[in-house]
Amino acid sequence: MSDLSSKDSSLDNLLRRDPRAEWIARNRLHPLHNEMLQIGGVEVRGPSGLLRKNPHVIGFIGPNGIKRIDRTNTSSASLGDKKRSSATKETQLPLHIVENPDFYIMVVADMVGGRLTGHDKDILGLAHQLVAKRNGAVTLVCFGDNKETQCDLAGVDRLVHLQGEIYEGFAPEARLNALLQIEAQYKPDYWLFPDSVHGGMDLACRLSARLGERLAAQAWQVNAEHTVCRGASASQDILRDTPRILTLLEECGDAIDESRHQVLPMAIDGIEQTTPAMVDKGLIAVDSNAVPLAEAEFILSAGNGIHNWDQFHAAAAALGATEGASRVAVDDGFMPRARQVGASGTWVTARVYLAVGISGAIQHMQGIGQCDKVVAINTDAGCDMVKRADLAVIADSEDVLAELIQLAQHYSLSKGQEEKSDAA
Amino acid sequence: MQPNINVVSLVSIGRHPQSGRARRAEQDGRAVELGLTLAGQSLTVVHAGNAKEPVLRQYAGMGLPSLTVLEQSEGCDALPVLMSFLQDKSVDVVLTGVRAEGGESSGMLPYLLAEKLGWPLVPRVAEVLEIKNGEAEVLLALPRGQRRAVTVKLPFIASVDNAAQEARQTAFGPGLRADFKVLNGDSVVDEAASQWQISVAKPRPKRIKVVKAKTAADRMKAATAKPVGGGGKVLRNESSTEKAQAIFDLLIEEKVIR
Amino acid sequence: MTLDWLPPTLIGVLLVLAVIGAVRRINLWRAGQAEKVDILAGLMAMPKRYLHDLHHVVERDKYMSRTHVATGGGFVLAMALTILVHLFGVESHILAWALLAALVMMFCGAIFVYKRRLNPPSRLSKGPWMRLPKSLLTFSITFFVLTLPAAGLPIVGMLPEGTGGWILTLVLSALILVSLSEMLFGMTWGGPMKHAFAGALHLAFHRRPERFGGGRSTGLKPVDFGDGVTIKEVYGVAKPTDFKWNQLLGFDACVQCGRCEAVCPAFAAGQPLNPKKLIQDMVVGLAGGTDEKYAGSPYPNVEVGHAKGAPNQIITDGLVNPDTLWSCTTCRACVEECPMMIEHVDAIVDMRRFLTLEKGETPNKGAQVLENIIATDNPNGYSPASRTHWAADQNLKVMKDVKQADVLFWVSDGAFDMRSQRILRSFVKLLKAANVDVAILGDEERDCGDVARRLGDDATFQSLAKRNLATLSKYRFNTIVTTDPHAFHCLRNEYGDFGSDALKDVEVLHHTTFLNRLIKEGRFHLSPLAGSKVTYHDPCYLGRYNGEYEAPRELLASLGIDVAEMERSRFRSRCCGGGGGAPITDIPGERRIADMRMEDVTSTGADMVAVGCQQCTAMLEGVVEPRPVVKDIAEILAGQLIEETH
Repeated sequence: MSDLSSKDSSLDNLLRRDPRAEWIARNRLHPLHNEMLQIGGVEVRGPSGLLRKNPHVIGFIGPNGIKRIDRTNTSSASLGDKKRSSATKETQLPLHIVENPDFYIMVVADMVGGRLTGHDKDILGLAHQLVAKRNGAVTLVCFGDNKETQCDLAGVDRLVHLQGEIYEGFAPEARLNALLQIEAQYKPDYWLFPDSVHGGMDLACRLSARLGERLAAQAWQVNAEHTVCRGASASQDILRDTPRILTLLEECGDAIDESRHQVLPMAIDGIEQTTPAMVDKGLIAVDSNAVPLAEAEFILSAGNGIHNWDQFHAAAAALGATEGASRVAVDDGFMPRARQVGASGTWVTARVYLAVGISGAIQHMQGIGQCDKVVAINTDAGCDMVKRADLAVIADSEDVLAELIQLAQHYSLSKGQEEKSDAA
Repeated sequence: MQPNINVVSLVSIGRHPQSGRARRAEQDGRAVELGLTLAGQSLTVVHAGNAKEPVLRQYAGMGLPSLTVLEQSEGCDALPVLMSFLQDKSVDVVLTGVRAEGGESSGMLPYLLAEKLGWPLVPRVAEVLEIKNGEAEVLLALPRGQRRAVTVKLPFIASVDNAAQEARQTAFGPGLRADFKVLNGDSVVDEAASQWQISVAKPRPKRIKVVKAKTAADRMKAATAKPVGGGGKVLRNESSTEKAQAIFDLLIEEKVIR
Repeated sequence: MTLDWLPPTLIGVLLVLAVIGAVRRINLWRAGQAEKVDILAGLMAMPKRYLHDLHHVVERDKYMSRTHVATGGGFVLAMALTILVHLFGVESHILAWALLAALVMMFCGAIFVYKRRLNPPSRLSKGPWMRLPKSLLTFSITFFVLTLPAAGLPIVGMLPEGTGGWILTLVLSALILVSLSEMLFGMTWGGPMKHAFAGALHLAFHRRPERFGGGRSTGLKPVDFGDGVTIKEVYGVAKPTDFKWNQLLGFDACVQCGRCEAVCPAFAAGQPLNPKKLIQDMVVGLAGGTDEKYAGSPYPNVEVGHAKGAPNQIITDGLVNPDTLWSCTTCRACVEECPMMIEHVDAIVDMRRFLTLEKGETPNKGAQVLENIIATDNPNGYSPASRTHWAADQNLKVMKDVKQADVLFWVSDGAFDMRSQRILRSFVKLLKAANVDVAILGDEERDCGDVARRLGDDATFQSLAKRNLATLSKYRFNTIVTTDPHAFHCLRNEYGDFGSDALKDVEVLHHTTFLNRLIKEGRFHLSPLAGSKVTYHDPCYLGRYNGEYEAPRELLASLGIDVAEMERSRFRSRCCGGGGGAPITDIPGERRIADMRMEDVTSTGADMVAVGCQQCTAMLEGVVEPRPVVKDIAEILAGQLIEETH
């Protein structure tokens, strides 16, 4: 880790000794001896600088009465601190250099929001596995905005960055034309796409259909000879020869983390564009509440403990959450039946489930079984929802929701200003 | 309903995710539903495969007077028969699912059809807003319930996303009574696919967090560290401002507030 | 006395008109589908059915039963004698005196009918029914006066000769016309007295003759899907003529007493269902017309007068709103209360069948539930391979391994529900304590089909039933026990229609019955439960459907519990709202049925309500706390089990 670190850090690593303290520590008859040891701040070093430990004073008595010595040394402060300070230094990873590559592997990334997704990085990692120490270049093909600053750390040897209005938004035809030009120019050994709803699968299918080459979809184990794909709604594994075009599942490979890469731009010339048959008319504003409950990633759910329904709806709007409800709230007519969460309602898969005034009937808990993080606001500290929650707040919902609305408003306000200043 | 639109919905045999039993495929059902809203009773529903498959009655039970089956034995490529079927007719819109629930489920069929017919393909359609003057305005389904409007010229092929209107209930009686037009399709065996080795899906290992530590001490630390936030945190006596802040911090940390 | 011919002529003419009306009415019924009925035996059995079975129901209201005996009995007797004395002119003092006596009896009855109509409860229909007591009184008085001469008591002395007699005859004739129009003409042309005519025939040709003489017939009749080659034009009941002819006859028998309305949980909850109005709408349908003349309580929040129907018009197109049909919980409280023994639930399910099988319009989650049942054999779409997960730690024998056992434990879909699993585990604990040789079907079990059938999907029900029967026939056992009254009902009463020997000589029992036997045999011991006041909720499918009221109570008594009975218990138990797929179709009302039932529980002061059904448990536990604890009897028993130490 520190092999490559700069010279000046060696100063920090310089051993500093306190001879007086060491002397006291050695001299058991010294009046300050015990005191000094108890502070524990003293390192006792031999004449050669070797650390000496007194086994009688270090360690602690474990639960079964046996003495345990923690040799990780995390408790010994002074030296550790120094070391840590050096460890936090930015380390430079070794640079992986590809010159005059014999072949290319094209990774057409989703680049959601202009940044590599975890999925993209996995595929870049897989691409390097396919290069397998030969002189091949892993090439990232990306369209539109590229805000990614760490392409080098993700394993990008070469970069094809296609910018321009024609690639913005929904432009599969223009993108396909670009890919075809890349194909003609570089004849890549592999075309790798994420098997995703962000356009990866769509583009892969278009390329495959145009080139007349059969792709392997939903691949998750790939090497140069064989590919294992999921088939029949992920109920089967299909073992087949590895084709040139693949759409890959998440976690198909391990992302690169121990090397830097060149990220050399590659030029693509003369892409022939035609008038597209499909014209993008832009995103449609969708109310977060119109998102189907089962798909929603953030649900604000109301139960019997809600009394101020206007406030609840306001909170959902402010937080940008999809509204859910317990059975009782639905039965009482405060929420429509389609909003009911639970075994007899909708099974939800939200990443964050914020349950307000829901004590958590067993059927409800079944319905939120797949939620990642559960937050509960409840007056009853003993209820099941609080037990299940990752974060529980014992309070009246009305106060907390009011505060949350304020926080959300402040947040969006400050964010808006930030963006303005960014633009300026 | 749009007047004088010739719509074809392609359907396949689905597979229930829990029981593995044959069923009306989720997306194909939506393709039929969308077809019915576009073309009403004049919708043509086509299946390439076994005409005796009982699941086809479930599609028919959505209120189809008839259903066309291009008879084919198992393991055959549906593409050539569908091609020849579609070429013969003046079709405006072809609707399919995004991915079949059985077989390879590569989702290539609509793309190959589009390529061969030279039609545009609109992926993951949630809704067809309007068809007029030889042009359709459709909404594409994006992740997390977002939508994108796109216009496309007729004729086109569209794959229908799960976000589209859910397929209506299938009724037993009309399903029984629907007329099956069975046409003999040429059977071209999918040679490549017959080479594959197919097995029951192995559960994929969950990715474990590998701590790449250079020293033994770091590895020890990583192995003994308490998982962060394992036990639920409970806030009782803090002020409601603090409580709300704690919740809000978690929401930001989870990136659900944008 | 030149007008002497007038009264007999009037009687004769009205009789003829009544006969014409009867023929016409019979033809309306005959428009229904054929159903095999033993005509002669039915007619022979009719008086007994009236006097015994029908009266048994009427007897629950002592006032009304006596009134009806006097009025109805008096009228039948008087009418028969009138025909002899006045129409055929049989001159016999004895007959005339008998006639007078009958008329007096009828008069007394009619007085009570009149009294009751002075301030009628809301469940009674008004309109023409309000004039009935007057017609009855008029009839008895008129014919009394008319009969006096025949009995040798001339009334001549009271009035002057000549014109006086002439006027008297004229007045009497007018009264005869008025009263006989009601009693004879109205009887067959759709007046209130229709109930006597149609009711008598309904008793004779009832679709479930097993119900008479103390029997029980509660299983739904299967849809005939034929041989699978010929496809019928319609499955279920689309138009009034799709009912069996004797069902149509049954609708006509309704007296609009409104007892069904008074017990209907959906009506009380403000859902758009009123069993009485529904039957009257069926009458509108079979005869054609509108419901304008209906003078009883409407469907809650639905205005009367807009429903139109005809024998060949689709019922749900303008006569009955589908929501009305989907509000029913199939609790059979209306059937149990109906003095005319009309089968409301059969009719509702028949019409639901059309909505589901033909139109594919099962509301709300219905479609999804049915699809799940078809694809996974359970209503929630769980993996069929996870059916036995609940029993992973129970060490239960599975039939596939052991092939035979004394008792087969039918687990039911409660296996997938975490709350119901507690009931299942408690029951298994008791079975083990009693050393019962028990096995389960494991993953071979399927949904019993109850929900599918009540939602009208008889095709799926029959498919499930046949596959379950095929599985059952592979193994040998003497008894099936289940904790789910719905499965219990299907297995016991409905699976018999599918020609399988699997359940031959097999006793199907509910777990309370079975546990009660074990206790009586001393197979396990319980410590008394002290310190809580317990009431018991009769599940509809255990009580009304299967007549098991005692075993659960005996079980509770064996724990030393003195059950604090609710006002509505046993055959009058109020539904929890969970039957008939009602939680799935979820028709909105003003209240929830479960809340009302919980109010019944609370009003006994009980702190615990014992239940014998997982569906009832789920519904009652769905009521917002604080409320009494809800526990299945198996759970209560398992908690008090004295475990023997070995």
